[in-house]
Amino acid sequence: MNAGSVGTGVPRVGGRERVNGSQQFLADIRLEDMLHVKLVTLDVACARIDSIDTSIAVHLPGVACIVTPADLPQPMPRFGPVYRDRPFLADGATTYHGEPVCAVVAESRDMAEAAAEAVLVGYTEVPGVFTIDAALAQDAPLVQSPSLRPDDPLARSNVLRERRYEWGAIDETDTTVVDHVYSFPMVTHFAIEPHGAIAHADDDGLTIWSPVQHPYLLQRTISDLFEQPLARVRVLAPDPGGAFGGKQNPKFEPLLTWIALKTGRPCRLILTLEETFQAVRRTSCSIHVRSGFRANGELVFHDVESDFLVGAYADIAERVVAKANYLACGPYRTPNARIVARAIFSNTTPSCAFRGFGTPQVAWAIESQMDAASRLLQLDGLEIRRANLARFGEDVVPGDVPADGEWQQSLDRAAEMIGWGRPPLEGRGRGIAVAIKAGATTGLSQATVRLLFDGSVIVYAGTSDMGQGARTIFAQIAADEFGVTVNDVSVVSGDTAIVPFDLQTSASRSTVFMGNAILAACEDVHRQLRSLAAEITGLEAADVEIKGGQVHVKGEQHSIATVLERGLGRLRGELVGNGTVRRADDPDHPLGGAPAFYEFNCTAFEVSVDGETGEVLIHRHVTVGDVGRALNPLQVTMQDEGAAIMGLGHSLMEQLLLDDRGRIRNLGALDYRIPTTKDMPLELESEVIENGDGPGPRGSKGVSEGAILCTAPALAAAVADATGVVIRDLPLTPERVWSALKAGVAR
Amino acid sequence: MRAFDYARPSTLVEAFELLSAPDGGVKALAGGTDLLVGLRNGAIRPRAVVDLKHIRELAPVIRADKECMSIGANAVLAQLTASEGLRRDYPALVESAAVVGSVQIRHRATLAGNLCNASPAADTVPALLAYGADVVIRGPSGERRVSVDNFVLGPRETVLTAGEIVTTIVLPTPKPGTGAAFARLTRRRGVDLAILSVCCLVDPEGEVRFGLGAVGPRPFLVRDSAAAVVSSTAAEQFAALVAKASPITDVRASHDYRQAMITVLARRTLAAAIERSSWVSP
Repeated sequence: MNAGSVGTGVPRVGGRERVNGSQQFLADIRLEDMLHVKLVTLDVACARIDSIDTSIAVHLPGVACIVTPADLPQPMPRFGPVYRDRPFLADGATTYHGEPVCAVVAESRDMAEAAAEAVLVGYTEVPGVFTIDAALAQDAPLVQSPSLRPDDPLARSNVLRERRYEWGAIDETDTTVVDHVYSFPMVTHFAIEPHGAIAHADDDGLTIWSPVQHPYLLQRTISDLFEQPLARVRVLAPDPGGAFGGKQNPKFEPLLTWIALKTGRPCRLILTLEETFQAVRRTSCSIHVRSGFRANGELVFHDVESDFLVGAYADIAERVVAKANYLACGPYRTPNARIVARAIFSNTTPSCAFRGFGTPQVAWAIESQMDAASRLLQLDGLEIRRANLARFGEDVVPGDVPADGEWQQSLDRAAEMIGWGRPPLEGRGRGIAVAIKAGATTGLSQATVRLLFDGSVIVYAGTSDMGQGARTIFAQIAADEFGVTVNDVSVVSGDTAIVPFDLQTSASRSTVFMGNAILAACEDVHRQLRSLAAEITGLEAADVEIKGGQVHVKGEQHSIATVLERGLGRLRGELVGNGTVRRADDPDHPLGGAPAFYEFNCTAFEVSVDGETGEVLIHRHVTVGDVGRALNPLQVTMQDEGAAIMGLGHSLMEQLLLDDRGRIRNLGALDYRIPTTKDMPLELESEVIENGDGPGPRGSKGVSEGAILCTAPALAAAVADATGVVIRDLPLTPERVWSALKAGVAR
Repeated sequence: MRAFDYARPSTLVEAFELLSAPDGGVKALAGGTDLLVGLRNGAIRPRAVVDLKHIRELAPVIRADKECMSIGANAVLAQLTASEGLRRDYPALVESAAVVGSVQIRHRATLAGNLCNASPAADTVPALLAYGADVVIRGPSGERRVSVDNFVLGPRETVLTAGEIVTTIVLPTPKPGTGAAFARLTRRRGVDLAILSVCCLVDPEGEVRFGLGAVGPRPFLVRDSAAAVVSSTAAEQFAALVAKASPITDVRASHDYRQAMITVLARRTLAAAIERSSWVSP
């Protein structure tokens, strides 16, 4: 095995630069003659815009122009990954707190900010809907005009779409029924790098710099909106400084492109943290579950009504609702189920993908139901899960991809790690939970691999490296295929003009999809190497084998570099291979395709609770993922720990708080709390189960979301175990726990 | 950020003049850890900022005198937490200084700034109240000295008039055998703003003082008929504290939670203060 090959924990490619500050993030890019854009917003959620007076602002120093909706093409162009509902600027009215009304373009950011304050917007506040109940009320104001979806029978309501999944039949005979409602808060992604983009138009076409997860989707969006061939739209995607799903889809790039075309100069917009809070969020929800169990703990049915509050524009939120709720019943044998899931518009920040893609929300409800049942049936949290967990090959959703892992191994290992079965110390409680998330259902990843004359390798892969370490894995895979170290491989990404197509960086797909595409491209190069070796030796290509990065010819072993040197000769040159992995749509599948794999995780906690203040102290937090194969164990641990800690956020402290007029009250880093190093569990341990049973290289599966999936229910179960008090609303802030304790005592 | 003028006087007299500007649009800068936040989010829009860090008379020193400890206006919180004298004689003040912001912030933020910012939730003020600290103020018309209790008038409001600067915070030497402790409640364990904070001081005769933060428009002192409090841990004994508090509901916590936590933190700090004192229950 070579240094840095698959299975070893090589340090992350680019990790050093991230730590020492030399990495060029989007905001570090300076172009000559660049203009700066500031968006004008109102401190109000819903308002009819009566007038926009730019007469003072436009004459302030350094102002190049001010773009108002009246300057834009009419009707206002709109875009979106599924629904084309998002306008470049607020179209006659703001529909959520912070929706941009117009854009000031100036020579410096400070000048743009000063002028933005001088724009006088006349507006009339109008009623909006900010909660599920308000959005569903009779006569609720409509968030979106019905004209945006003229053929949709739901257009005259705030329901964007309702999904129904049903199998078996719900029969409560001889069952113990548990029936509860669970809520999950609005949270923001809080990537350290705020959102931003730069656009430039010149004779070569349009160039957009954006730390986006899906550069090729951005390229297509700009191409469509501005009627330019794809070849004249270039997206340069610097590594995102954290994305977590918030940077998947275009947001302000179309507006910036329009401004760049108008001004003929590069235009740059960097949002503040506060503005980023107003640009993306995770979907909040309320989930009502009625579940039936036999006396021995056997699950009979789940009846799920899942209401997800999405924002004012659809973004990808409906897909979040559809995909998460499809697997709402979790990694269990569920013989009967009825799931009704609604995506409901509201006058709030547009919600989008967020690590876990809706699964943390549904797992919060379903896993808490498992614990509710276990308490009623006098089983423990481990027993009831063991009794129902799907074994390898058993159905989770009947007729779909069955369980693709030995999930009980993760469950047993996590139980062992948390000391399940041994009595906890006085005052401590334990909880355990499991969850699965569907991997990508469709996908297309293309890779190009160049084997250079000296045996070193360049890999072209369009995956965005947003902290998950994609380039490292790709370098390791290619290094193994050509018998070199990772230092002999460079990976090029982030430029649609150079790097071949990749559909998305999402759903923990890249190791599987792009990894396999790179393997295919390497195989393409291997074929050429075999021909070359056959040519040199005068044998048939069939006599040549490439194995372990070496060329084997009839019992003799040669290094690849030797074969290249002799085969390519004095004029040198290189071998170029291409690989494609395509997972096509399946129009008959409710999700448009079956999951490529399941991401499975088991999480367990041991906690104590301050009975007077409600503060939760985590003594131990363990997470075990069913990863197939850890291609880079160090990165797997980092991803798993990162997801676990992120899960602590929505479990313990994170929530966007709105006032009754829909304005975010805790906008910014002072009053929106995420876990810090001091909030870490006293012990945090992450392990993996490796059975090589995934579809990726060496039997790998995606791993980047597992440990966030069931953090909350495992933690709440531990709190319930320690205190006897069950909480069904997140996050478990000290005050919320204190209130529950007080109510519990009173009862 | 809006543009503003910047001045860096090297003497107090120069600073008085700069700060006395009749338009009032002048802000003093020491550590800047509150000022910069305000400048950035637009809550503070001064015409000019006067940097006090290079004023000769305001050396960042902590000095032990005969009957007191003097903390210079430019002394940063990290100096307080490292000071052996303060750690020995004013442990509750050190405890409160140690939770302000992060390590980086404590190397910039000053004690005087924490006081002058006049936040109801200022972490160090309950301890300054309990220790009976005074504030030395100098201005165009000379020097005056007020107690911390009289210094903060309300949210973002102090007795400072145009041109005046806090030069020193003076802590009287506690009686030997005094014990004091500080506690606060936050939404998370890392860097956070207080939901409420309590400092309790017990002197060797059993006199008790409580400084309370974030449960009223300004931190305040309750000097109870102390022995009564000390003699019992029953919740009713803390009624005086609760009665004087007027907590609000905000994004950090509700009125009810703050109200209930006063008693919890008071009892805990009292127990810790007694433990640290030489007072013995009669």
